[in-house]
Amino acid sequence: MHISDGVLSFPVIIAGWAIALLLNAVILWRCKCRHDMAEEIPKISIMTGAFFVASLVHVSIGPTSVHLLLTGLLGVVLGIMAFPAMLVGLTLQAFLFQHGGITTIGINNVMMGVPALLAYWLFRYGYSKGFNPSALGTFCGALGMILSGIFLALMLITTGEQFTEIAYAVVVAHVPVMIIEGIITGSVVTFVMKVRPELLPLEREV
Amino acid sequence: MEYPEIDAYASMDSPIHRFDPRAKIVSFTLLIFSFVFVNEIRIALLGFLFSFLILLISRLPLAFALKRIRMVFFFLFPLLLVMPLTVEGREVLNITGISVSFDGLIFASLIIIRALAAVTLALIMLATTRFDITIKALYALKVPGTLVQMLMFTYRYIFVITDEFSRMWESMECKGFRLKANYHGLSIFGNILGMIIIKSYDRTRRVYESMVAKGYSGKPNTLVHLHMSTKDYVLSTCMVGIAIFVHVYQLMFTV
Repeated sequence: MHISDGVLSFPVIIAGWAIALLLNAVILWRCKCRHDMAEEIPKISIMTGAFFVASLVHVSIGPTSVHLLLTGLLGVVLGIMAFPAMLVGLTLQAFLFQHGGITTIGINNVMMGVPALLAYWLFRYGYSKGFNPSALGTFCGALGMILSGIFLALMLITTGEQFTEIAYAVVVAHVPVMIIEGIITGSVVTFVMKVRPELLPLEREV
Repeated sequence: MEYPEIDAYASMDSPIHRFDPRAKIVSFTLLIFSFVFVNEIRIALLGFLFSFLILLISRLPLAFALKRIRMVFFFLFPLLLVMPLTVEGREVLNITGISVSFDGLIFASLIIIRALAAVTLALIMLATTRFDITIKALYALKVPGTLVQMLMFTYRYIFVITDEFSRMWESMECKGFRLKANYHGLSIFGNILGMIIIKSYDRTRRVYESMVAKGYSGKPNTLVHLHMSTKDYVLSTCMVGIAIFVHVYQLMFTV
């Protein structure tokens, strides 16, 4: 669920851009110090492309259809690079498909990037404690989704009291999507652990 | 799945197509930000009409543009139904105890008009320049190289992965798979997604090696050279002028 242009107030948008740009700068700088960027750039880009294509798939629930966000999965697979990857994905989505908005790229980046980072840290922590990766994946996928929903609701409420009812509706609408994303993320994690476990950033630092 | 070809009509000719890409990006972005933060519905409507005028000048096929602009309208249309019921304000109509407020109606229309103006401008900005030239313009505007390269490669690989995904999807459908929102459907879909991720991961290795073999070092090199003419300066000054004027006018209007 992205926010479109024209909904949020000026201070919320500016705050969104400020947090998004700051976090991106820190993450990219950290990545530059630890890795060879010439190798990281194509890698992250192609993975972002894969997630972009996956997020175009619509699942129909009853009369409506939802498209996947895969916030949690992005975090679990890409680690902290999920945040800049999300920025790139959202920019392309706003310009190529007119999903979401242009002025709201910053706030959307925060709204979906921060849950992705949390999902990554939780997955790593859980894995090091010896939890079952499939269950962890399901949980992180669901968590990523519902956190995005809660952030979205908070932003709507800070924008103005006209949005209070819509904000509650948004959180409720995220619940079915949360279940769907949880099942999908769990199944992806199980599959990847079986086929190519070195793909997940569990042993190495990202 | 459709390709996200935004620059399919970039080879046409119009004043907007000839506009220098760097100046285009800066002035259109300013216009978008300016129109999105208008609080007065009449000014917002003027902004939208202005965007539409530029769309006509750019001679982009209307079917191509409207198909994309329509998306935003459908996305925001529910607001028009919900906000009159939830926002308190002057009552226009009372249906068995449920009051429909005028303020809610105005507020929802304001949001939709602002979003439509922004999306129209963004569409014109990208649709009138070839994507590789837009990327070059971003370098020229000193956007961090890492981000610009990621944008460029991601855009390029969306097409490749779309093909790959469609192939897998077709073969799944041939075997009778239909994506439904039940546990079985979703976990099978998760496996497809896992396969796409693994395939893409393997591809990154090959792509990186072939790029290094061709001399890639993480630094961009492009062959396009841009230069600003007097016309570009005039046009961009006009657009920036309009972006500022809208807000000055609004201040005068409200005071």
